[in-house]
Formats: sequence, structure tokens, C-alpha cells
Amino acid sequence: MDFPDIRWDIIWNYKELFIRGIWITLALTIVGYLGGIVLGLFLGMGKLSKKKWIYYPSKYYVDFFRGTPLLVQILLIHLAIIPAIFGHSLGYFVSGCVALILNSAAYNAEIIRAGIQSIEKGQMEAARSLGMPNNMAMRHIILPQALRRMIPPLGNELIALLKDSSLVTVIAANDLLYAGKVVAGAYSRFWEPYITVAILYLFLTFFFGKIITYVENRFSNSFVPKQKKGMFSIRR
Amino acid sequence: MIKIQGLHKSFGELEVLNGIDYEVKEKEIICVIGPSGSGKSTFLRCINMLEDVTSGDVFIDGVKVNDAKTDINAIRKEVGMVFQQFNLFPHMRVLENITIAPIKIKNMNPKEAQTLAHQLLKKVGLGDKANSYPEQLSGGQMQRVAIARALAMQPKIMLFDEPTSALDPEMVNEVLDVMKQLANEGMTMVVVTHEMGFAKEMGDRVLFMDQGLLVEEGTPEQIFNSPQHERTQAFLSKVL
Repeated sequence: MDFPDIRWDIIWNYKELFIRGIWITLALTIVGYLGGIVLGLFLGMGKLSKKKWIYYPSKYYVDFFRGTPLLVQILLIHLAIIPAIFGHSLGYFVSGCVALILNSAAYNAEIIRAGIQSIEKGQMEAARSLGMPNNMAMRHIILPQALRRMIPPLGNELIALLKDSSLVTVIAANDLLYAGKVVAGAYSRFWEPYITVAILYLFLTFFFGKIITYVENRFSNSFVPKQKKGMFSIRR
Repeated sequence: MIKIQGLHKSFGELEVLNGIDYEVKEKEIICVIGPSGSGKSTFLRCINMLEDVTSGDVFIDGVKVNDAKTDINAIRKEVGMVFQQFNLFPHMRVLENITIAPIKIKNMNPKEAQTLAHQLLKKVGLGDKANSYPEQLSGGQMQRVAIARALAMQPKIMLFDEPTSALDPEMVNEVLDVMKQLANEGMTMVVVTHEMGFAKEMGDRVLFMDQGLLVEEGTPEQIFNSPQHERTQAFLSKVL
């Protein structure tokens, strides 16, 4: 095997590009994730609806976005759908965000549907028996409980989305992977840029993983708030 | 106060209620007994439309409950329900469990709702548990909170669906005592129960149900001391 002599100075020369790439990747991930949760919430509830005109569109939406590759969705949205609606491209960032929101919403919808269904039937019955309309019971009784159960799978979704966001490179988005591609193209060297990209993604997933673990522990199992220990402890 | 006419309920092929007629008068305590699978709980759940009826009618205060034009939520405000599995909201403190419905549905001022909740908690003997979470309570305490929660809507009628069946034996009485207190205050109550002692002592009327039919109905003395129907006799010989 032929190992090249590694030249880290190349990476250093392009550090701005990589830093910018990190920010773009983070922005795409966070916008895609939050948008995907909001849209996924509606789709997930849509899949639980008894009304056919709500159920079927939600179901077909989820089937389509889970059943086709994200790469294809990105190209379709950027090159066909957005130009068809607006007459011109709105740039890679808008296309990338739209594609990631639409795609992650489909996966989140399934997580949210399962989370809502996992709440015991008696909770809804108790709320309804008090005179709450369905929507009110959903908002105050079912969703607050269901959201806790959704935290672990939604956390996995965040990590998956962060990595999948690298696919927007195909529409020349200045994301982290794209920075690596630019450097690789400029020097015809592949070890340094792609190792760097890999390590930077690893840092990002590690960082997000820490946040998720924190949130999971914060909201684990018990609904009773954990007593904080030490000098700032709160007594009730 | 509650009028039930020709009530039928089937789940697919399975006929659970085969035509029930009954009328509950104001301030009456009705105890419904019978073997499991006899349709007692379904009967109770049809009164506040937790189950939709297959045919027949349910009237509360003259209003037809199973009518598409009836605002079912308005009816349910007047009809409290207590479940076998308590069904407290685990993400809320005891106080919030009790105040959420009056605040959100009746637009009661939160201060007022809290005062009411504290009164109700005192009444069920849990004045010190307002800030606890349901999971920190025993079964008997949870069921008493559930009763307080239903009472917070100031209902005219209370439905009890086997309220003591999920409790450890030593906790049954604390719940029954609260129910007795409520009965003595003149609440109209329909109680599905396996507690024959409670039915005997507190019931104005006792209903015996079997296989989806109201087999026999009468005062506790009639039902427990001289049951007329052989199915009633057979059931009582097993449980007494």
C-alpha cells in the first residue's frame, strides 16, 4: 500500500472554507430538523386521523419521502420543483433546507405517530370524560406525555439528518463535504481533505450526541423533576 | 335524570348490550353488579358516550346524548367519571390534574380553581398532596385524586367504573369512604362494582346484569336477600 506524505498545510490554507462548511452544515441540519419536527407533527397526527381526506394524503406523503432516495429528492426540488414554482432557483440553501425539512418530516411523522399511539387509551378517555374536546386533550394531555417517549428516536433522527445533509453537496451547497471536494479538486489530493471532513463530521455528531444524552436524561422515565443537588438546590 | 331506552351495543359481531331500558332518578345511587363480560362497564361508558351506541337512546336531563347535534362535551361537563385504572395525568402535579379541566373548559380563574382543588383534596383526605405527582401516590390515593378531579367540574352525575378493582385490599375502604360521603351529600351516582358490601349499604337500587341484559333490578334487600331470577341467585351464591 502506498501512503502519500500527508500535507496538512493544504487544509490550513483552506480553513475558512471548512469553517464556513461547518456553519452551513449546522444551519441546514438545524433548520431541516426543526422544520421537520413541526411538519412531522402534523403528518403524524394526520396518519392517526379518522378522516380519510387527512389520513390518505399524510400516508402517501410519508410513503413517498421514505420510499425514494434523499439524493433524488434534493435534485428534484432544486432543479425542477422550485424553478417550476418561482421561475428561477432560490439558491442551494433554500433548496437544501426544503429537501431536508420535507424528508425528515416523513421520518419524524412515523416517530410522532408511534409516540402518540403509545399513550394509554385511558388518558384520552379521562380527558374527554371531563369535557375536553379532542384537540384540547391532544395538546394538554396526550402530546406532553408522548413527546417524552419520542425523545430517543427523535435524537437518532438528528444524528442521521446531520450526516444526510452532506447529500446537498450535489447541488453545490457550500456545506462541509463540499469544502472537502473543493480542496480535493484543487490539489488532486484526497487523503487530507476527506479525512478532515470525516473528523469534523465526527466532532459534530459527538457534540449532538452529548446534547441528546443530556436531554434524554433530563426527561427520562419519571415525570417528577429531579432534585438538583448542591448550593443551588431548589426546595419545594 | 338519566333515561336509557332500548340500548344496544355491539363490537363488530359481538353483541355486548342487548337492549337495556332503565331510568335513574335524581340523587339515586345505582349499583350495577354482574359477572365480568356482562356488559356493565360498556353500559356505563354508553351513558357519557365513551362508547357510541349501536341503537337505542340515552337521555340526560331530557337531552338526547347520542344525537349528532348534541354537544357531547357540554354533557360530559355535567357527568363526572372515575375509572378502574385511575387515569390520572402523570405529567401534572395533583393540583394541576384537578384544575386543568375547570380552567381550560369552564374558563375558571386559576386562583379560584386552585382554591376549589384544595377544598376537594381536603374532602378526599389528601390536603397535603397537592404538589405531588401521581407516581408518588399509592393506588388508593390516586383514585381519590381521580374522584376530586371529576368533582372539580361540579358535575350533577358521577359514574364509577369499578373504582376499587385495581386497588390493594387495604386501600379499598379509603376510596369507598369518599364515595359514601359523596352519596350522603346527594350526588346522583351510577357505580359499577364488585364491592357487594358497598352495594348493599349504599345502593338505592341494585342492577344485576348478565350477557348484555338487565336481568333483575330492585332494592338491595330484594336483590341480595330474595333474588327472583336464577342467574342472579347463581351469581350471588358465588360472590357472597
